[in-house]
Amino acid sequence: MSQNALETGTAEADVDVDSHQDSDVMVEVRDLRTYYEGDGLFGGTPVKAVDGVSFDIKRGETLGLVGESGCGKSTLGRTLIQLESATGGEIRFDGTDITMLSGTDLKEWRRNAQMVFQDPDSSLNDRMTIGEIVREPLDVHDWKTPRERRQHVKELLDTVGLQREHYYRYPHQFSGGQRQRIGIARTLTLEPEFIVLDEPVSALDVSVQAEVINLLEDLQEEFGLTYLFIAHDLSVVRHICDRVAVMYLGNIMEIGPTEELFSNPANPYTHSLLSAIPEPDPTAHKDRITLQGTPPSPRFPPSGCPFSTRCPARIRPPEYQDLDNELWHQLDTLREVLRERDRTEKSVTDRIRELLGKEPHFGTIDEIYAELFGDQAVPPAVEDVLDDAAELARGGNERAALDLLGAEFGSVCEGHEPDGAAEADDADAEEPVEPDYHVVSPSGRRSLCHRHDSDADYRKPEHVLDDRHR
Amino acid sequence: MSMNEFDDTTLRDRIAANPRPALLWLVGVLVLVALELGRIADGVLRLGGAVGIMVEMIVTIPSSVRGAVASSFGTGAGIAAFVIMAFILLGTVAIIVKWLFIPWSLVDRLGIDVSTGREDILERLLVTGLLAIVAAALVWTPVGGLFEMLIGVLTRGVEAVGSLTTITSREIIPNQGYQLPDGSWEGTFLGLSPALAWGLRVLVVYAYALTWLGWLWKGYEIFREHYREADWTPRDDSINRLRTHYWGVFGFVVVFMFVVMALWAPAVSPVTAEANLYSPYGNEIQYYGDDGVQSITHGDANMNSRSQGGDENVGLMSYDDYDRFHPFGTNTDGKDLFTFLAYGAQVSLVIGLLATVLMAVVATVLALITAYYKGVADLLAIIASDSVIALPRLLLVLLLSVLFMQANHPIAEIYDGGLLLALIFAGTGWPLLWRSVRGPALQVSEQEWIDAAKSYGQSPAATMRKHMSPYIAGYMLIYASLSLGGVIIGVAALSYLGFGVQAPTPEWGRAVFEGKSYVSTSSWHVATLPGLLVVFLVTGFNALGDGIRDAIDPQSDSGDGSAAAATGGGG
Repeated sequence: MSQNALETGTAEADVDVDSHQDSDVMVEVRDLRTYYEGDGLFGGTPVKAVDGVSFDIKRGETLGLVGESGCGKSTLGRTLIQLESATGGEIRFDGTDITMLSGTDLKEWRRNAQMVFQDPDSSLNDRMTIGEIVREPLDVHDWKTPRERRQHVKELLDTVGLQREHYYRYPHQFSGGQRQRIGIARTLTLEPEFIVLDEPVSALDVSVQAEVINLLEDLQEEFGLTYLFIAHDLSVVRHICDRVAVMYLGNIMEIGPTEELFSNPANPYTHSLLSAIPEPDPTAHKDRITLQGTPPSPRFPPSGCPFSTRCPARIRPPEYQDLDNELWHQLDTLREVLRERDRTEKSVTDRIRELLGKEPHFGTIDEIYAELFGDQAVPPAVEDVLDDAAELARGGNERAALDLLGAEFGSVCEGHEPDGAAEADDADAEEPVEPDYHVVSPSGRRSLCHRHDSDADYRKPEHVLDDRHR
Repeated sequence: MSMNEFDDTTLRDRIAANPRPALLWLVGVLVLVALELGRIADGVLRLGGAVGIMVEMIVTIPSSVRGAVASSFGTGAGIAAFVIMAFILLGTVAIIVKWLFIPWSLVDRLGIDVSTGREDILERLLVTGLLAIVAAALVWTPVGGLFEMLIGVLTRGVEAVGSLTTITSREIIPNQGYQLPDGSWEGTFLGLSPALAWGLRVLVVYAYALTWLGWLWKGYEIFREHYREADWTPRDDSINRLRTHYWGVFGFVVVFMFVVMALWAPAVSPVTAEANLYSPYGNEIQYYGDDGVQSITHGDANMNSRSQGGDENVGLMSYDDYDRFHPFGTNTDGKDLFTFLAYGAQVSLVIGLLATVLMAVVATVLALITAYYKGVADLLAIIASDSVIALPRLLLVLLLSVLFMQANHPIAEIYDGGLLLALIFAGTGWPLLWRSVRGPALQVSEQEWIDAAKSYGQSPAATMRKHMSPYIAGYMLIYASLSLGGVIIGVAALSYLGFGVQAPTPEWGRAVFEGKSYVSTSSWHVATLPGLLVVFLVTGFNALGDGIRDAIDPQSDSGDGSAAAATGGGG
């Protein structure tokens, strides 16, 4: 297993993301944050779509970006080509921080970075001919003469596998795959170096997906392009990408070479994500790790590790080390339910539903307890805590109940100081402990998890997962 | 030219290479122009006059602002306001002048090196400065006098051309005469009856207009066949779709007939506007009475030709006692109704089109801006439009028109209050139009091609124009043609209430108003015919809007889409 790898990657607090400076780095992203302001006129709590992300993209490589829907991968891609403006952090493109560009400089820079959009139905203006669509970037940048532009566009149509006479057709006369080729031709017109592919094949028929993927690979070879490939289809990512970044709730959980990451994942989230890939062999034994609950709202991310609320390998406090796995599962469910109640109770519609007696979303706290712990042997120490929490929850104070449960059963993952420090100074609780990136293999693969911290004596995620989920 | 690439020649080069068809077409145009030169010159003169009045009014804005500000805030503030106002006006003109007439960059010529964003602003400032110098020269130096003399000479030249007779003129085909006891007609064209003579003139007018239409179409075909680079362009499909869209063609025919009626109002009306409407007692006619050929003023004759129900009626297609022919009968004070309606068509069309175009432009621009930027821009527009919508529209229109007319504001004098009405209707009508297209605009602004345009650096203005406005245009055409009908009806309603366009200027609504008490009598035509014309015109505009909407949408089902796809490859 990855025991050696972990040992070589001696954990350090600040992972040196610049460790590959020697190789040709094209895009350097440092602590990038993109927040969406609230809908209200006066703002409100922003949605933290991308919340502090750092990585490099090397010239000529394909970096995959995977994660479930809503994790911020599209926003990250859009921020990289400045369709969204970053709230903080840097994007250095060949040394220039493009988040600072504006006006003419920004327009000039845009030639270097283009995007292929997800939905070929929506990315082409139906009222324009293919020629006009593909030529528009050239018109915008006043590229050479109109005649040369037409010539260039026709050559490009050839390049992406369409015919020159399609110049005068309309998008609605083409199939999805052909439309995506047109979109690709448009991104190529300005001869960019860097292209963000935002789920370029997910809207296409499976039969066409491979063709488009092959086209993208051929083009990369021909023009020396650098890709950021955003996808949720892991098999496509494994096929096309040199390196992969796994994203969860606005953070990169693990980033490293594709093959290594797929065959030997380090981060618990990567484990659970990969376990969701269906196995073609029906007889193969496979343990799927089902994550509990739903992803937290990016408006109110959990403190500590972003994955802590659902992590299947969360660190448990030493005093409860010997509790049953089943019981832990029920405790996690309880906290998830309380969080859900805490979050939704603010909604007016739910209160009205309750008043009208219409299928309330959740039963009373006693019903929940009965369901969760009814047939469990609960140790007295845990029982006491649960009773106190139930008392608080009954009074409608889910927040306090959660805090109580968190203080008792939480760990470093949820931002509590490890090793009993939590009890010592409550004042420190305002500064939740955040996990660090740890290099987990000689190739420089990084993973965001406390369990890689070699100073502390944690078990490795894969072992924990083996214990808890097999 | 099946597969070869385009050779990049200009249209001028292509015409020079093969001048025959173009020259042939041009000769036809010249002949057509020559036939109606007098009337065209007349039109140019009237248009020039209107533009002149507008320019004069705009020029006085800074001074009037200075006066207003100076009286409340002192002379210094007045001068400052004058300068600011003058600068705003000159700047606006500068943008237009730069856009229309100066294809090269002054900044580049002068070798000033600034970033592109600043360059545009600097360019505009330079043009503004030049314009300011020109304006100062016109006002304070003899150049101004010279300029005025030049315009005077030009005007007199055009006037001289305007007095030429044309094939549709009253002098060539007169329809006014008297019948001798033996039944023959004196004074009419070839001794025909006035009805036939008038019918012939109307026929000539429509034949002439149709010839123009046909010749323009021919010109387009010649261009397509001999001079256009591409064998096929999207425009061809649009035109084909419109041609096979029968409802749209119907609308086009109706609108065409009305426009011709309005443009050739002096020719299609049996009596001149001067004699019929403005000074009936200053113009005489001859008729054959008891004592042989006698003279009488139109005004006196009208006393005996009134249509007020019962026996006192001159109905459709009939003569009155003085051998005057009235195709649509007469109105309640004995004037010829057709003349009234023909000139009224001018008024209605001008007010309706002006108001609709103004509000459609405001609504479209606003819809594009609010959909593209959303947020605060949208909110402000919502507040503004809701405020306008919240006021009762007819009341507001009434209030404003009475206010301006009572105050004798200079705007109220242009086109007998027509411009004022158009402005008022546009000012109160844009919120509804904007609301109607806001949804489609927001929808299209969410499309990914807007993001794509942003990603390669397309400017917001160009994005709105190329990627958003075509999707709003269809809705806008429909809603605008609907509100065009609304404006025409609104103006008619105002006139009906006694406001709006004042007598003697003809307006359809006033005809309905005057004839409303005779609808059930023999003089039913006075109110019914103008009412029907309003209905026809409004329906026609709606149908045309429908047709154009379907024509500009390449995904529309009508037309031969398969043929378009087949020839789509450039032949």
